[in-house]
Amino acid sequence: MRILSFSVLAIVCAVSLGAQKREPPNISGAWERYGFNLGQATADGQRRDGTVPPRSEQPVVKPAFQKEYQDRLAAIRDANAKGAPIASNYVDCLGDGMPLMMGAMFPIEFLQSPGQVTVIEEAFTQVRRIKLDQPQKKIEDVEPGFYGHSVGRWEGDTLMVDTIGIKESIRYNNLPHSDQMRIKEKIHLVAPNVLWDEVTIEDAVVLEKPFTIYYAYRRMPAYTLLEYICEDNREFKDANGIQQIRVGDTGKK
Amino acid sequence: MRVLLITAALLAPAAPALAHHSFAMYDHTRTVTLKGEVTKFQWTNPHGYLEIDVKQRDGSTKHYSLEMTSINMMMRLGWRSNMIKAGDLVVATVSPLLTGEPAGLLLDVTLPDGRKLEPGVPAVGTFKRTPPEE
Repeated sequence: MRILSFSVLAIVCAVSLGAQKREPPNISGAWERYGFNLGQATADGQRRDGTVPPRSEQPVVKPAFQKEYQDRLAAIRDANAKGAPIASNYVDCLGDGMPLMMGAMFPIEFLQSPGQVTVIEEAFTQVRRIKLDQPQKKIEDVEPGFYGHSVGRWEGDTLMVDTIGIKESIRYNNLPHSDQMRIKEKIHLVAPNVLWDEVTIEDAVVLEKPFTIYYAYRRMPAYTLLEYICEDNREFKDANGIQQIRVGDTGKK
Repeated sequence: MRVLLITAALLAPAAPALAHHSFAMYDHTRTVTLKGEVTKFQWTNPHGYLEIDVKQRDGSTKHYSLEMTSINMMMRLGWRSNMIKAGDLVVATVSPLLTGEPAGLLLDVTLPDGRKLEPGVPAVGTFKRTPPEE
């Protein structure tokens, strides 16, 4: 009888421990990016956190796409030097999309809820949803968009995210990509109030090899993201694709 | 005169060195100093605007539209929508629009009470400041 009781107890404990899922770390709340300039930490960032994000890698583009990419970068440099900048998507009040949204020029917020992590970027009120513990779709089953389709899972303390379905016009620093692009992220705390997102871009059509961008954020415990509505966009793209501005009071209140 | 310089370092998290919109269309080689009367302080995104009337030497008035940064950035630097009102006499340091139109990028503005505010233009150090004309 005694032996049977011990056996039952052992089974109950084992089942209980097995069913006990490890709680993911708390990353909910507002964060501000530090270490701009392609991942190089600012002196300020190092002083505050004692953490230095790694330098982001540069993409190596296949020869077939090299000319388009380099010509585009040169055209942007030349246009800026002439004081007639080429209009970006921002001129049309369009958000970054992925992966630049995670670059968080403005504060970013993570919200953890059952089955989903939601990311909000203040500028342009951008939102992406990471569905947890679900299989990824096939690329051909995802309509291309700004944020694509993201699935994720917690591996220990790291949120592993896979994103597909980014439309061709949404580019990381003007880098071309194909519909086969896949964005893989490792989001993890490196200190209680310091979060890193290691973003690896894979695209066997355009890139010689995957490359990784490092985004680092520090917690903003007292901050609530502000609203952001493009209410009076005086800048516009002219017929030549150049950024212009309407001069004069537009009458907005 | 009370002078309060609001900077990113004092009041807010470090402002990003990057910008959504290019400011390449403004003259980085000189500034102009405009003394004028505010007709409107427009609290909008993607950018705020300060509209001012500037009296000319011949007695006429010229209207200038001065672009600022996102009001979200400005709020994080301590700005509020009621800090400037129509009728206020202000002194604005401006990077003029290269086209010569009466518009510019506002680098800083001094209010009637002497407070000097900066809207947090990214890479503001790349704009060469020139002394005000007498």
